[in-house]
Amino acid sequence: MNTAETRYVGVFEREDDLVGATRAARAAGLRIVDAYTPYAVHGLDAAMGLRPSRLALVCLVAGATGAVLKLWFELWTAVVDWPLDVGGKPHNSLPAFVPITFEVMVLFAGLATVSALFLVAGLRPGRRPALVADQVTDDRFALVVEPADATASLASVRALFDAHHAVDVRARVEPAEEAS
Amino acid sequence: MTPARLHTVARVLVVAGVAGAVAGLVHDPARTWAGILIASFGTLAAGLGGLFFVALNRVCGATWDLAFRGVPATFAAAIPVGAAGLALVFVFAPWLYPWMAEAGHLTGFKAVWLSQGFFYVRAAVYVALWLVFAAVLVGRTRQIAIDPSSDDARATRAPATAFLIVFALTFWLASVDWIMSLEPHWYSTIFGVYHFAGAFASTLALLVLALMWLRRQGLASHTITDAHFHDLGTLLFAFSTFWMYIWFSQYMLMWYSNIPEEATYYVRRREGAWLTLFYLNVGLNWVVPFLVLLFRRAKRGRVLAAVAAIVVAGRALDLYTMIWPAIVAGGPRVGLCELGPLAAAAGLFLLALLGWGPRRHAATVEAAASRAAT
Repeated sequence: MNTAETRYVGVFEREDDLVGATRAARAAGLRIVDAYTPYAVHGLDAAMGLRPSRLALVCLVAGATGAVLKLWFELWTAVVDWPLDVGGKPHNSLPAFVPITFEVMVLFAGLATVSALFLVAGLRPGRRPALVADQVTDDRFALVVEPADATASLASVRALFDAHHAVDVRARVEPAEEAS
Repeated sequence: MTPARLHTVARVLVVAGVAGAVAGLVHDPARTWAGILIASFGTLAAGLGGLFFVALNRVCGATWDLAFRGVPATFAAAIPVGAAGLALVFVFAPWLYPWMAEAGHLTGFKAVWLSQGFFYVRAAVYVALWLVFAAVLVGRTRQIAIDPSSDDARATRAPATAFLIVFALTFWLASVDWIMSLEPHWYSTIFGVYHFAGAFASTLALLVLALMWLRRQGLASHTITDAHFHDLGTLLFAFSTFWMYIWFSQYMLMWYSNIPEEATYYVRRREGAWLTLFYLNVGLNWVVPFLVLLFRRAKRGRVLAAVAAIVVAGRALDLYTMIWPAIVAGGPRVGLCELGPLAAAAGLFLLALLGWGPRRHAATVEAAASRAAT
């Protein structure tokens, strides 16, 4: 009998095997916890059934916020609060405001996107990462699955992973604080 | 549209276009020569953009273009077409260039650079260099397709790298010689980059349209995937935005400094009805592609083809607003004088891509399809 924290780790040598095993595991009703690869694997997001990333929305909202705030600030300083006559130009010299507005938009969008990624992924300072399997930062691919109910045993998961040439399959009991 | 029918359409476009251009030459020579200059330069630049695409990918050692790399290479066939049109302009209508019509207005380096003989020698050198590099790079692309193991750095990467350098210098100078010197007292130091941005965006748009057509014909429908269109859509998005960046850089600096010899260019292009075209240019070349191609789904389907068609139209408008007001006085007019050369250029571009004779073209397309399938 498995406890809810028990997860199974399969380690593969080839990316095709990882993608195949991910598809098979999902078809068999296992929940995909995560996949660990040394580089981005094409088609893995579709095999895992991941929803489209929401980072683009964060980027859009932050960028628009930055652009609007900066434009408002420039108009307020140059037109409302302290108008100066510079070479006979109109106070509201919109084309001249565009480069700074653009830069601040990019700054807001960039910082917000990276911050959101770190926040959601839990990449905070002082975090001690634990490798799910050796060599996933080098030349191996690991897949972590969790049974939806208690019926799946190590043997059945092993059979599923072995069909995709797994080089190592094991159960892994998560520390309580890591289970999320 | 089947290949045979497209071939017929192309020939009709050429015949009707040439007839229109001849009628235009009788009716209003200045406008028609302006139209021929616009159409020829646009065709030439799109062809060079195809060669640039090939060279860039070979320098990077790219493999993502494997399924369709023969198509941008085919664009090089448009280089002699555009060059021939420009030759007509330079030989029969040199008076389009004020410094040729009446010499003696320029002094110093400008007088040396913009002298008739030197101008012709430079034009011949640019076109000769482009044709030599086109022959080498298209030959290499074909060779790699037949025998992938022959893709070694020295034979492919060296001429591709050399072309990128030569292209940067010659295309910049050619745009200054052939278009900026229509108004010899005006100058923009970013003019060459501006033309590169517009040319490559139009190449990407035409490439998207060509590949969509190939896929709808069932040719290479398994090898050209949505992922390829996604990547091309991303490139189109990027280069459309790059064009806007350069457009704005040129405009803002002239608006800001507001000195007469620079600002006259924009004064002329913002008076009366030109102002509408001034904004429409930005809309077609940047606002529409930017807003639509932000979305992932738009880059993967038919919407991309619509955006590509808009960018091609925007490129024609960009060249029109750049060249036409420098030659003809008054508000914008479009008729046989402009549409004739444009139709002829479009037809010749299609014929250059499809192969000049119907039989030869069928063999080319089939060979390309079978090569892509293996």
